[in-house]
Amino acid sequence: MEDPPNVPGASAQLETLRDLRARSLEGGGARRIEQQHARGRLTARERLAALLDAGSFQELGALATHDVRDFGLADQRFPGDGVVTGFGKVNGRRIAVFAHDFTVLGGSFSEVQSRKITRIQHLALESGIPLIGLNDSGGARIQEGVRSLAAYGEVFVRNVMASGVIPQISLILGPCAGGAVYSPALTDFVIMAQGASMFLTGPDVVKAVTGEAVSADDLGGAGVHASRSGVAHLDAPNDAAAIELAKRLLGYLPQNNAEDPPPIQPYDPADRADEALDTLIPAVENQTYDMREVVERVFDRGSFLELQPHYAANALTGFARLDGHAIGIVANQPAHMAGALDIDASDKISRFIRICDAYNIPVVTFVDCPGFLPGVDQEYRGVIRHGAKIIYAYCEATVPKISIVTRKAMGGAYVAMSSKQMRTDLAFAWPTAQIAVMGAEPAVRVLYRNEVKDAPDPKAKERELVDYYRDKFFNPYRAADVGQIDEVIEPRETRWRLVRALELLRTKVLQNPPKKHGLIPT
Amino acid sequence: MNNLGWGLQISALGMGLVFCLLALLWGLLTLVIKLDAPPAAAPEPEAAAETATALDPALVAAITVAVLAHGTQRRAEAAPQMRIHWPGSLLHASRWVAAGRTRQNHSWQRGRH
Repeated sequence: MEDPPNVPGASAQLETLRDLRARSLEGGGARRIEQQHARGRLTARERLAALLDAGSFQELGALATHDVRDFGLADQRFPGDGVVTGFGKVNGRRIAVFAHDFTVLGGSFSEVQSRKITRIQHLALESGIPLIGLNDSGGARIQEGVRSLAAYGEVFVRNVMASGVIPQISLILGPCAGGAVYSPALTDFVIMAQGASMFLTGPDVVKAVTGEAVSADDLGGAGVHASRSGVAHLDAPNDAAAIELAKRLLGYLPQNNAEDPPPIQPYDPADRADEALDTLIPAVENQTYDMREVVERVFDRGSFLELQPHYAANALTGFARLDGHAIGIVANQPAHMAGALDIDASDKISRFIRICDAYNIPVVTFVDCPGFLPGVDQEYRGVIRHGAKIIYAYCEATVPKISIVTRKAMGGAYVAMSSKQMRTDLAFAWPTAQIAVMGAEPAVRVLYRNEVKDAPDPKAKERELVDYYRDKFFNPYRAADVGQIDEVIEPRETRWRLVRALELLRTKVLQNPPKKHGLIPT
Repeated sequence: MNNLGWGLQISALGMGLVFCLLALLWGLLTLVIKLDAPPAAAPEPEAAAETATALDPALVAAITVAVLAHGTQRRAEAAPQMRIHWPGSLLHASRWVAAGRTRQNHSWQRGRH
């Protein structure tokens, strides 16, 4: 039977579709792909292949193209329009994903791209599955004018609506400039590869406006955002390593805010007692130790994934597993600035607690903090409102919360760092804990000023009173007396104590008063 | 008496014939089994030992490390082989928690009457 006149046969129709699909797979063409590889970067489809389980990707909008005719764009129409969107699986878990294709018009952000991305954002939110974005875009498509800018807004609003409902992870694998930076910034986690960059205004604009000469990497490279600005939670040497980190991070997160993170088969004995913990705290008060070692020894072996390790190093945040269950860890880091809290540390801690609370991840806090960092600069920059964020985040959180005071817990920092009043469920302390309003020397100067001044030997008297103060307050037992500490435990017991406590709290449910939203100090 | 002798002869002949046929069948089956059996592998302990020792210890170590690293990576990613149950599985959900989460996530919604 012959085809009707002027209607292509089925085989011809299939050929057309296959041709379009093949063109979509080619991206910007072989030459552009070579250039992308020469920069040490993978193409969008290679990145998706590395991220997703084999054969799991289902693409949507592969044939969408723009209809702009100005500025010569009529001749530059590529199926897919510079972004690959769809659904797939990571370790068997369903996710929505988009990947900018830098080989197509520099991955510039267009109205069509926005429609494709918002489509999967919408479906991801409805289905309650995580969204992962692989960003590599030169910015807004200038030829599209305001349509391109509005397109960003469409993505932003959906980022916000999905915030705290489904995990959103952004990988920055190339340039990300101007308005494009806000979408990753609105997501839960940002992972940057070396060579990628994020900035609102590029080096040229900075040079023109302020006269400062700076390279793209020095302005907004992975090193800058992972250590100075705190925009990036993790950084990796290349695309493949960044994708591996995203997969690992996803392992600690649930599919959505109604579910729990996936537990794994326990592989480390729950009752393992690590005797090295008993001697980990130095006998000399001013000596430091690495809180990472405490975390590594207490939680399941090799399970600790530290977030923002180079930013605000005086605080430690990250995910680990305890008896196979995902746990959020907050800690002071005595090895850096003696573990004192400052503005950056406060931001880091409060943000992390809120992430854990949103995704039903219990929070375990290790406290060794001499207080908030004193200084004119800190006060001028608002350490009060930043420090208040920690209090706000702990009080607001409804997930299981457990604290362990390992050494110092002084003044406001004691209250803020998961004290019982922050609705902490269980508070433990090691025998080395020192819970007091302030350090011994300043306390003696306030309490016994006249006695010291009038003494025949003021220095000897001061030493005597300092020793007295230390004996009286620099231990956990007075706090335990008044119920501020539930139990003083041996350091080696910490692991199984936590396992049992979290087993008890696994079904904890707490409801905050109805409200549109709270007003966290910013 | 003649009938009795005749009867015994016939019985012996019949039974003999049956037993002969059975023996023939047995022999035939044994032959078929022998012909159909896979060729017996000659034990070569020395050759096997040689193969085992022929593996480069560095290669064995590398394979061991690779297997361990793979397992560690799968565990770190909470891969399906390592998970206790499927994320969001209702089989392991606590009704208490499920109801509580529903209340938590809807506390801001205006009541519909």
